Amino acid sequence: MSMKYITPAETFKKYLPKDYVELVDYGPFGKSQEEAGPGNMGQFKELLEEHPMCSGCWMAYFIRVIFAALPNPEETVTLGTAGCGRLAISQAAVPFIYGNYGDQNAMASGLTRAFRLRFPEKHKDVITIAGDGGTMDIGFSMTMHSWIRGEKFTTIMLDNEVYGNTGGQESGMSPQGAVLKMAPEGKKFGKMPATDLAKAAGCVYIVRLSPTNIKKAAQIIRRAIFVAREVGPTFIHAYTSCNIEYSIPTEEVFKDAKEKEKGRFSFDEYMTDAAREVIERVEAEEKAARKARKEAMKAGAM
Amino acid sequence: MSQKVTVGPAGYMPKSAPSMGVELAPEGQALLYGNCVSEEEAMRDAARAMLTRDNPTIFPGPQVLWDWKEDVAQKAEAILELASEIPNCKIIPMPDYRPKYPKIDVKAEINPNHPNLTILDNKIKACIFVGVHCHYANLSLRMIRGGTDCYTIALCAYMGHEEAMASIRDLHAEDIRKLRDIVIEEREKLGIKWTAKMPPQNPSLPKEEFETLNAADYGEFRSLLMPRRGEQVAEVE
Amino acid sequence: MSPNTRPKLEKRLVDAKYLLQEAPREKHFITGAQAMAEAVKRASVDMAIAYPITPQSEVMHLVGDIYAQGHIKEYYRAEEELGTMSAIAGASRAGVRLFTATSGPGLLRGLEAIAAWPGHRVPAVLGVLTRVVNAPLSIQPDNVEMAYLMHCGAVMLHAENQQDTFDMTLAAFAIAEKVDVYIPVAVATEGFFVTHAKGYVDMTAEDLALEEFDPVAAPVPAMDNETPPARIQRDAPVQKSNFMSYLIHAVWQQEIWDSNSRAMKYIYEYLGGPIEVVNPDADVFVIASGCAAAQGREAQRYAEEEGLSVGLIKVRAIRPFPTKEICDATKNAKAIIVPEHNAIGWLCKEVKAAIPNGGIVTEGPRVFGGMTLPVELIMVEIYDALGIEHNIKL
Repeated sequence: MSMKYITPAETFKKYLPKDYVELVDYGPFGKSQEEAGPGNMGQFKELLEEHPMCSGCWMAYFIRVIFAALPNPEETVTLGTAGCGRLAISQAAVPFIYGNYGDQNAMASGLTRAFRLRFPEKHKDVITIAGDGGTMDIGFSMTMHSWIRGEKFTTIMLDNEVYGNTGGQESGMSPQGAVLKMAPEGKKFGKMPATDLAKAAGCVYIVRLSPTNIKKAAQIIRRAIFVAREVGPTFIHAYTSCNIEYSIPTEEVFKDAKEKEKGRFSFDEYMTDAAREVIERVEAEEKAARKARKEAMKAGAM
Repeated sequence: MSQKVTVGPAGYMPKSAPSMGVELAPEGQALLYGNCVSEEEAMRDAARAMLTRDNPTIFPGPQVLWDWKEDVAQKAEAILELASEIPNCKIIPMPDYRPKYPKIDVKAEINPNHPNLTILDNKIKACIFVGVHCHYANLSLRMIRGGTDCYTIALCAYMGHEEAMASIRDLHAEDIRKLRDIVIEEREKLGIKWTAKMPPQNPSLPKEEFETLNAADYGEFRSLLMPRRGEQVAEVE
Repeated sequence: MSPNTRPKLEKRLVDAKYLLQEAPREKHFITGAQAMAEAVKRASVDMAIAYPITPQSEVMHLVGDIYAQGHIKEYYRAEEELGTMSAIAGASRAGVRLFTATSGPGLLRGLEAIAAWPGHRVPAVLGVLTRVVNAPLSIQPDNVEMAYLMHCGAVMLHAENQQDTFDMTLAAFAIAEKVDVYIPVAVATEGFFVTHAKGYVDMTAEDLALEEFDPVAAPVPAMDNETPPARIQRDAPVQKSNFMSYLIHAVWQQEIWDSNSRAMKYIYEYLGGPIEVVNPDADVFVIASGCAAAQGREAQRYAEEEGLSVGLIKVRAIRPFPTKEICDATKNAKAIIVPEHNAIGWLCKEVKAAIPNGGIVTEGPRVFGGMTLPVELIMVEIYDALGIEHNIKL
């Protein structure tokens, strides 16, 4: 683990702003999920604390979960594109690459391969986090081809079923009939079958979810990252409603997410045998580590 | 020799130093006001600026703030020694390069996307950039020359910076110590009494206490506050 | 095969100065595409990304062969040019040496990404093997695409022949990676006329290669979780509507073009300067770049044989444009002729803008759409400029 780049030079520590010292001392770098994972969100120093998202934004919440769930934040790079998500992702304490429109999966292909040739002994986790427009419309070809090539990184689609950041236009992931900008008479066709496309294109671990359960969402994010390290492309299709464009009252955002979970965002997890093997192995290791820590604590307490 | 690059403010949209014909100094030399001079000459002028201008400040960047390479500890040590010899010198770091959201704490840090804010708020009239990646140093130095009357000094591990009033290239810890010695010499020449003293610690703003906040604390943004459920907002702009 | 199990070739790593100017060379008779690939072979390239388009394809086929032989660590065929150029931008954040090449319509397809490379500080090398931009459809040589690239911020070199292609490609890596430059360098040459034709090339030995890429010596931090700061975002999201956002974008753009102009000293160092002047005391100058310079060279030779006062200025660097050099070289010129392989005459426009007396510049001759540039076409302009009667029929 290369923590050196986030360790202050000893003599300068007292000259750093508190923010950074706290991040180093209490941040999730080099810590376990029990210490600094989503279970402790709101109590522990988070990678993403301040962001400019709208009040009640379900996407902002899910992005926080993503960062809290990272298995190795100190060895992670995120990539994104135009859209609301980028406004929050770019505020997290993990390197973030913003390129051009919808090019996140092409950039991630280059980045992942370059990491693997420079650091053959290390896992550097690469995650693209983009909206439905960036992933399935403008970035469609680059998304699909990165999967078809079997590029080993994780793709997360924040699906709010609309171009939120540009002012509420129809996207390929908007539901049929939705009246949106550029769809003045309602959308004429249905949602693109993102998870089916992912399966056909060779993703080895695919989940569709409405992230109403933090622990489950975090587990899925971690699974997708672990599998991408060893097996191949992984894809998470998450419902992250736009309460502005779809006029969801702030206090009903969670209720809406629950409803969608019963409908077009019903939970669906797919994995290949190779992916299952990795998940079972890693989760068994994690469990053993948890047990060992507990026992060590008990021994320490005695 | 005419001075090609001088203390600002150079104006609304000044030409960049390279486009005014300033070229980086060759190895073994330094830049002073855009002209090639010996390293010592540049250091002497820089030292006098740090000694005689208001609120001298050192801006250490990520390359010396974070303990990532073997030479960092040495350089960091030397920078502190230098700071301690400059009367009332402050250290305000540039820990990273992202624009600050929602608002920069100008007493606690400087940022390459809006460095002028820190310079203007603290009334800094002479500063040293050290350990900042060249791209961001160039952006900062240009904005500072454009919008402030701060004398800028660049201590660069590579080729230096055209935009700075004084630019030292190929910097090692011993070059920082050389500058420190020159600072002491010049200080004595100027008859300034000073015993070496470490600069004050980072004065980061205390964390906001959300429990005790009231609407007035939000200043011009208070009209954007969302009322709690059941709460009645009587007065809005 | 994973990158770490690929064949590792024994090479002697040397600096660019030695490799380009001092290392012993041997004469080969090869195509321009081969010359470019041979330069890549000697450049310790980490990763190359390919996508086919005629006439470029030949270059990336050969680069693929070089990869298979172990000279390059990673190589793949991308989905299309925007994917290629974006992947180059992504890989560059990891701190590796990169190469790709394209032609005409491919360049335009990738241009959204390429135009962002300088601002993202991507020191990649881009081969541009020139070709017609549609419509109507054609695959023939014509360098109009260079006009689009000229305003993107990249350094641009234009090779006259196979030898130039080799030298400029090799120098491009050294120039791109200088800490005070660190923007992409494009090496252009004419498709087919150079890429598919053979010429003599003096080349260094195969086991001599450029020093490895140094991810630390850079004006921006590599985003590799090894280089501070911890929360890197190299490209500031400055879409806010306030003066600070405008200002950072403005100085950022200045920095790109300053970096571009800083490349000039390295063009002198490695390539002998941005222009080559033949017969500096001439009254009439042919100013040309790329293949047109080869024809201009012939025209100058014809003219000299006839005792006419004609010189040649070959422009090697299109960006940074050698304004001062051209002004100096033409200060006593009475007429300037700018032959080009494109319809719009981008070089002519640059020359006119560079010199104080643009009225002495003749627009053309220009050929395009794949047409060759007969020397006689240039001779006609020379005779006209000197007021000599002729009966050249083309």
